[in-house]
Amino acid sequence: MILARAALLVVLLAVPAAMTGWWIRAADARLVETSAPAELAPVASASDVGYCNPELKRILRRVLLSCGLVGGDAARGCQPVQARSVATMSGHDFNALFTPMKDRGGIVQFEKDKSDLDAADTGLVDQVFADQRGASWFFVVARASPDGSIDHNRELSKARAESVMSHLRQQFKDPDLDKEVGMLWLGEEFAQLEAEFCAWQRSSSAACNPEQLNRSAFVAWIDCQL
Amino acid sequence: MGRPKPWLMALLVAAVLGVVFAAISTYDFVQHLDRQVHALHCSFIPGLVGHAAGESGCQVAMMSPYSSVFRTRVWGGIPISLAAMSVFAFLVFYALDLLVTRRKSDPRATGFLALATALPALASLVMLVISLSKLGTTCKLCVCIYAASAVCLVSGVALWRLAVRGRRDGAADPELEHERGEPVFVGLAKRSASAVESGSARLIAVGVPTTAASTGFLAAMFGIGIAFVGVPVVLYLAMAPDHTKFIGTCEALPHPADSYGVMVPLARGAAGGAPAIEVLDPLCPACRAFEQRLAASGLADQIERKAVLFPLDNTCNWMVTEATHPGACVVSEAVLCAGAKAPDVIAWAFEEQDRIRRETKADPAAAARIVKQRFPDLAACVGSPDARSRLNKSMRWIVANNIRVVTPQLFIDKVKLCDEDVDLGLEYMLSNMLDRHARGTLAAVPLENGAGPVKSPANPGSAQPVRPGPGKPGAP
Repeated sequence: MILARAALLVVLLAVPAAMTGWWIRAADARLVETSAPAELAPVASASDVGYCNPELKRILRRVLLSCGLVGGDAARGCQPVQARSVATMSGHDFNALFTPMKDRGGIVQFEKDKSDLDAADTGLVDQVFADQRGASWFFVVARASPDGSIDHNRELSKARAESVMSHLRQQFKDPDLDKEVGMLWLGEEFAQLEAEFCAWQRSSSAACNPEQLNRSAFVAWIDCQL
Repeated sequence: MGRPKPWLMALLVAAVLGVVFAAISTYDFVQHLDRQVHALHCSFIPGLVGHAAGESGCQVAMMSPYSSVFRTRVWGGIPISLAAMSVFAFLVFYALDLLVTRRKSDPRATGFLALATALPALASLVMLVISLSKLGTTCKLCVCIYAASAVCLVSGVALWRLAVRGRRDGAADPELEHERGEPVFVGLAKRSASAVESGSARLIAVGVPTTAASTGFLAAMFGIGIAFVGVPVVLYLAMAPDHTKFIGTCEALPHPADSYGVMVPLARGAAGGAPAIEVLDPLCPACRAFEQRLAASGLADQIERKAVLFPLDNTCNWMVTEATHPGACVVSEAVLCAGAKAPDVIAWAFEEQDRIRRETKADPAAAARIVKQRFPDLAACVGSPDARSRLNKSMRWIVANNIRVVTPQLFIDKVKLCDEDVDLGLEYMLSNMLDRHARGTLAAVPLENGAGPVKSPANPGSAQPVRPGPGKPGAP
């Protein structure tokens, strides 16, 4: 009888211990087996949306390199001739690149021969810039209407682009500003906006015509990765 | 051997069931030592794997800090269910021993049994109260263990009361009559003086076995009971895998500096503690649960935490395809707008997150309304371009640091606490990381091929459906 009781004791004592030991060994074995990567949550990344086709990326890369936004060059802004040369396309085709960004941009309209931003202008710039989401690049493409000389309009469009940039710098204090905002001033020479851009968000509620539309700075986030 | 008493049989059956349920619970716990995600056995039917909502109570209970002890000594701690299994096994042993030694009518022996059954019953009561008051849920497997404990207690006490009454009434008890004249197995026990001096004279007169359990016998049984618990626990401590080798093997922060000014302080944490960055979503249930576990761990005071907001809501987060936590963008803006009061907003968001998510799912404007109602001083800021831009920069910080789309994530001095260690292994791994930080040895472990830290396996956090990105073919 003592043996029976002792056997009972040993069995009942051993069962929980043995089971636990077995399970731990099994878990330990699986731990070794699964040290290889398993299914992981994806890594956070910037946006790269559908319209970022290879053609657009190629143009984008050329523009950004030329304007000093990538490649470590400290230069900022593209001269009109440079913009035309890096784009190597017609003004119409150049503008067409931006049409998919209608919901991500706006057109800041200036008074004739002016480069100052009024409240409506800053409101639009703030609204568009604050809606960065995953975009990596912000383009400010300033233009001038054909009134006046070519040189004057170059300077005027440059002043309009810098006016927007200056406001962004003051308003958002974004340390990435110089790495993500690309400015182009096209004067009257290249890629004048056509009437279809009247449908975009604009800072002016006045009637839209191509002349007024080109006294402007086009602003938009570009959701592409290079 | 006489006919077993019904109460003893009931106790025996309940104890066996207790062993089974506690063993299943222990198995569920132990299998998580492999750092993987496993389905739990969560059913009133032994061995049946739980599904969907029915599993949540078991999941919550197992992942809670109350499911195990000595959590800083071993990864996950020693499961309470292991002790429960051992105690029930002891009750089985002792009940069978009473049967074979014919002590089932001995008030001392049955009294000891009743006392022994009080232990799991008391533990069950405490765990039930914790489940209801702290966790707000119960798990089916736990309820089975509670029920087994209760039946053991009731049976044990009834058996003891019967034995006391039988000793008092002698032959009047028909069950005692069964044992009349049967051979008596004395075993380790010795007739105690008290037994002779008390009612045993009358028992002798009717011929019932009189070998009342001696103090030595009871002490031996007590020792055996300790061994039943101690042996598996010691074995567990000795065999548990070494998880410290995983410290630093997950991601690290390549650019931890707060260049965007988007980090917000978190309530807990002492100045001078180890610097820590937590990536969180204020409406993420896993983040709330992590906060509770961290608070319960007692380690929150040893880290100086800052939060980087990562709302898993596609109204502002381009990396997710849906708003799994509707309203998280608005609440995150409120946190950023609150400045030094950010911990208050986060604490409020954790408390109200179920309601905010529910109401925002029905009405997308609800989150802003609720936030502005609770924090009117933030009304002008929430939704402003500046707030949206700051929240966006918060997510740009996430992108710059190659952080995975999952919350919560905790980085101690740039080294990530692996996703597998944010629940069961939190206390063990975090305390080890803090020790290493104090010694200056906490660092990310590079892969042998130099490609960076080892990637961690599947995690239990709040991962989201993610937009496919470039260079990530096959991403969901």
